Amino acid sequence: MNRSVVTAWFACALLSPVLAEAADPVLSPREQVAFFSSKVKPLLVKRCFKCHGGTKIKGGLHLDSRSGIMKGGDSGQAINLKRPLKSLLLEAVNYELEGYEMPPSGKLPAEQIAILARWVRMGLPVTPDFSGKIGNQPRSASPMVTPETKRFWSFQPVKRPAVPAVRDRRRVINSIDAFVQSRLDAAGLTPAAPVSRVALLRRASYDLTGLPPTPAEVEDFLADQSPRAFERVVDRLLDSPHYGERWARHWLDLVRYAETNSYERDGAKPFVWRYRDYVIRSLNADKPFDQFTREQLAGDELDTVTPETQIATGYYRLGIWQDEPVDREQELFEDLDDHVRTTGEVFLGLTVGCARCHEHKLDPISQRDYYRLLAFFRNIRRYGVRGRNTVESASITSIASEADRKKNQKLVVQHQQELKVIQREIREFLVTVKPLLKGGEVDDFKREKNRVPILKKKVPGKLPRAKFDAYVKLVARRDRLRKYKPPGLAVALVVKENGPTVPQSYVQIRGNAHARGEKVEPGFLEILSPPKPNIRPPAKGAKSSNRRRALAEWITTPSNPLTARVLANRLWQYHFGRGIVRSPNNFGLQGRPPTHPRLLDWLASELVDGGWKLKRMHRLIMLSATYRMSSAPSQAGLKADPTNNLFWRFDMRRLSAEEIRDSVLAVNGALNRGKMFGPSIYTIIPNEIKHGQSQPGSGWGNSPPAERNRRSIYVHVKRSLVVPMFETFDGADLDTSCPVRFTTTQPTQSLALLNGQFSNREAEVFARLVRGQAGKDRAKQVTLALSRATQRRPTEKEVRRGVALIEALEKQDKASPEQALKYFCLLTLNLNEFLYLD
Amino acid sequence: MTNQPISSRPGFCGRTRREFLWETGAGFTGVALSGLLDEGFLNQQAVAADGTTRWQNPLRAKDPHFDPKATNVIFLYMYGGPSHIDTFDYKPRMKGMDGKTVDVKTFGRGGRKNKGRIVETRWNFKQHGQCGQWVSDLFPHFSTCVDDVAFLHSMTADSPIHGSAMLMMNSGKILSGSPCLGSWMNYGLGSVNENLPGFVVMLDPRGGPISGAKNWSAGYMPANYQATLVRAQGSPILNLKLPSGLNQSMQRRLLDTLRAYNEQHRVKRSDNSDLAARIASYELAYKMQTTAPEATDLSSETEATQKMYGLDRKESTPFGSQCLMARRLVERGVRFVQIYSGGNHNDANWDAHGDLKRNHDMHALETDKPITGLINDLKQRGLFEKTLVVWGGEFGRQPTAEYAKGTGRDHNSYGFTMWMAGGGIKGGTSVGKTDELGSRAVEDRLHVRNLHATVLQQMGLDPNRLSYFFNGLDRKLVGVEGAEPIHQII
Repeated sequence: MNRSVVTAWFACALLSPVLAEAADPVLSPREQVAFFSSKVKPLLVKRCFKCHGGTKIKGGLHLDSRSGIMKGGDSGQAINLKRPLKSLLLEAVNYELEGYEMPPSGKLPAEQIAILARWVRMGLPVTPDFSGKIGNQPRSASPMVTPETKRFWSFQPVKRPAVPAVRDRRRVINSIDAFVQSRLDAAGLTPAAPVSRVALLRRASYDLTGLPPTPAEVEDFLADQSPRAFERVVDRLLDSPHYGERWARHWLDLVRYAETNSYERDGAKPFVWRYRDYVIRSLNADKPFDQFTREQLAGDELDTVTPETQIATGYYRLGIWQDEPVDREQELFEDLDDHVRTTGEVFLGLTVGCARCHEHKLDPISQRDYYRLLAFFRNIRRYGVRGRNTVESASITSIASEADRKKNQKLVVQHQQELKVIQREIREFLVTVKPLLKGGEVDDFKREKNRVPILKKKVPGKLPRAKFDAYVKLVARRDRLRKYKPPGLAVALVVKENGPTVPQSYVQIRGNAHARGEKVEPGFLEILSPPKPNIRPPAKGAKSSNRRRALAEWITTPSNPLTARVLANRLWQYHFGRGIVRSPNNFGLQGRPPTHPRLLDWLASELVDGGWKLKRMHRLIMLSATYRMSSAPSQAGLKADPTNNLFWRFDMRRLSAEEIRDSVLAVNGALNRGKMFGPSIYTIIPNEIKHGQSQPGSGWGNSPPAERNRRSIYVHVKRSLVVPMFETFDGADLDTSCPVRFTTTQPTQSLALLNGQFSNREAEVFARLVRGQAGKDRAKQVTLALSRATQRRPTEKEVRRGVALIEALEKQDKASPEQALKYFCLLTLNLNEFLYLD
Repeated sequence: MTNQPISSRPGFCGRTRREFLWETGAGFTGVALSGLLDEGFLNQQAVAADGTTRWQNPLRAKDPHFDPKATNVIFLYMYGGPSHIDTFDYKPRMKGMDGKTVDVKTFGRGGRKNKGRIVETRWNFKQHGQCGQWVSDLFPHFSTCVDDVAFLHSMTADSPIHGSAMLMMNSGKILSGSPCLGSWMNYGLGSVNENLPGFVVMLDPRGGPISGAKNWSAGYMPANYQATLVRAQGSPILNLKLPSGLNQSMQRRLLDTLRAYNEQHRVKRSDNSDLAARIASYELAYKMQTTAPEATDLSSETEATQKMYGLDRKESTPFGSQCLMARRLVERGVRFVQIYSGGNHNDANWDAHGDLKRNHDMHALETDKPITGLINDLKQRGLFEKTLVVWGGEFGRQPTAEYAKGTGRDHNSYGFTMWMAGGGIKGGTSVGKTDELGSRAVEDRLHVRNLHATVLQQMGLDPNRLSYFFNGLDRKLVGVEGAEPIHQII
């Protein structure tokens, strides 16, 4: 509903019976009370109490006492005594606000509405039994900002804790181990033994690059007997460009990265891949996280704005976008909510979004807090209004350099001049042939497409062939020029604001875009006792308000209690499979308490003191003895701590969807590791899946084989058409921030790896590679296939088992040697050992 | 990664589930479709990380909140939005008004309008059955079933735009990202047939609905709760067919060898139930290769039965086959089956913006006999009592013309008709009214949430209790405000 409609509705209300009775006779107080008991109360009891009386109270609104009515509900004041007609109660019964039609089962008859209106105008006279305290309990049990809630651990500043003492120093490599072991000591547990070297290499390679180690890397590591061998591996992996490709995936999960808008059209987001490349590049360059954050939240408002910082603001353009909203104003607030929610969860680890319609029910975050935070984003232009042009205007900007611009300008001028010359030549020629035209030809000749056929008829009698040919050539050249314009300037998908002035922000009652409550100014969450935002006054003619910069600066202040903790927890989570806080997007009162609070604070301090650099943290974590533990179970551990709360061992994990796909391609040698960045690629999606689209195949292209075999991070992410492999193996939910991937085990996964197009096609490729390298010897084939899939040398027994299968397939099932080998290769891609890491 | 023991009580909204989710962190695991894990196997191997608690899978059959009236749902989804005033919502006062311009507030894809040109219905209405329900002659067969059916004439939805309205009808929200009705069933009740999915969607051969998979997604729930697409032609489920060149004996050999490798791998990791679950899932997949095609194979049905579903006519064969498959799936324990009538765009579905007559004649012909056959077949097999059949689209249509010329009607979410039958629904009833033009619901207004609440209620789930903890909140299908089931029809 837009504003003009609201106005129109108010205009209608003026004609309704509500006002028509304004001339009612004035009643004495006694008569007023009688009016209440005879007319109003029965009405309330009959039509309202079911949801707003007694113990069942919807929307926090009690209609069973005057105090309850006056107090109002979650949506705010129900009664406006100064302007009775503006009372929410009356608007609701008059069905004036969409979503607030009361009672919802059907509009009250006009005379009943009039009774209520008259009663409100009288000032709500009631009988004594109705005035009381019924329903006067606190509206809800939402936690408030109090000294007590302020003391909650995650709202307290981070203090670097002392490194604890441990019983046995032999297993301590760095401080992390001391924190973990001191807890194990207390529980009487011993840490698991170090993991085998191959398993450690596999763990680290997948962890940092999302890929298995190559056979050469395994050999090198096994040959390196120095105590610093693993350190060298970690350094090599951190320097690998594949590091960024792997860790970008974690970040993209968090910021709900997808390349289309969802909804009916699910249109592609232009140039969104630059954001993905930005994340990969930032990680590979070890960009400090505070800078990374500032660039994404306010890259267009920084002192130095570069193409890179502009691309970073694509952060705001990754979400779903309704291009055909039922209610534009409401949709604007849906978009703003997406920014508040995502930013709150990703950077602060708080579910701020829950306070959109009412006070947060679980955390001391008020609805005011929500709208003060929203005020930082209030000036952002919607992704678009509808259609491609509006998106270009609201979300696309040029990122070309001055030099590029100049170079391009030259090309453009040159192109235009060439075109001009040719067009003139064509015109001149046409003038010379005009006299040759007869009758209807004169008219037909006006249409470009008729000219060549007409002129052809005149050759060679009236028109020399050479002249005709020259004309045809000219036209072809002109068409070519028209088609191949000089390449356009580089553009990016970015955030834009509506200039330096920001519309006033309000608390939107019940999250309704049309129901304004009190005014609010940008501000941070009260529970964190924050400073006032430092919003630099925007320069005259500035394109934005500088509000987001103020927000980004507060988020990245070292004294912010949440940012560093939340990030340190995520780093830990991605290395160990679970966070120290197991609810990584929720550090609130109902989030999971940290299993190792002091370790978390120590990591957070290290992170900030180390200049927010991630690679240093990876190194620290991975070189610890804790990271190098085996995942093998111990009786004592399983008994005392079955969920491994204390990290007495390393948890096994299944590969993620993307790792599975990339590993299949790595193992069979097809993976295109070299090509990074650029527009996304399309893998082959079975027709059965495309058939689920309203226009099968729409929005999905074809990529040539080499492109198709690039890493999963470069596969086009279409919200309504997810690559089945990714969906089946628990890829990230694309519409909201995904802090933890599920790991399900389903028969559809087995069917996909066993019968699916992808695995069968790639198994064939694998078989060709194996045959090429191992020759015809079955034992050699099996050995090679198994060692490529598991990165270790198979035992003799394992080789015999594989050979037996191949022989049986050939002899008993009459499969060709190629087929038999292919099926053995397919088997290796189905091994638990292939899919799980120790 | 290890599994946290799940409480044996169905702790839908209590701390148990919440704790479970967080407790396991990244390791929310379990074999879907538990079948293979029979008692013996479970007792032997599948124990939780503490070594004593029996491992349980998330899709195991769970107890409902109370005794259910229905055990299965078949949702006949009329994609595009059938016109209520041309099907079941008779408006005699519109007679003779064709072409007249009247004041009426409408809101569709063409925006908000305050007046419009009346398009009188192009069909004749008659009263049918004991209950005297009006039905237009679009549905000559179905009109014989009205005494088994409850009509909801006062449905309303939050959006008159297909994309968001479909999400609302399927997931209760106009924004994408929430689990669909069938996912809630899977989550709340699990599956009783280990060899078949619990939530099945069948699409119109002309194409899927807009937003595709968003309409059967599990949203923020794990993927094992999402729908499985089942096709009437070819291999019914993706990846069910053996790759060319592989026969069953070869596959068996391959699986036996794979199992030997996997068992060997598991020896030193016996505490990890995921590994056992994954081994088991291959056997389950193997079994599905035969059970699923059997369940969807219609050749064993008699000619009479096939005829009942309209398989003797070209027009009604696709939808009829799907209805018949739905019955077979329900017989085999599939919890929730959704069939789309209409797909793709424009007149390939019920979205009659151009020629109303041609559009609705076509889609009614395609579905009338199959739906009637389904109801009668369920009845004769004693399945009707326990099978809830739901019919309707994402919204209805306006009483007025969309364009200056023609009979096309724009979308209408202010009021439309749906119907429910079987599964403990009172037949021969109707609830609610729209105004004289059918432009909006005026009496006993119902919301999509009430419809969802009714479905859950009949399935033995308290709609205001069934919740899933996500992003700091106990989410419900019927939203934070909750919703009452439609008491008049249950």
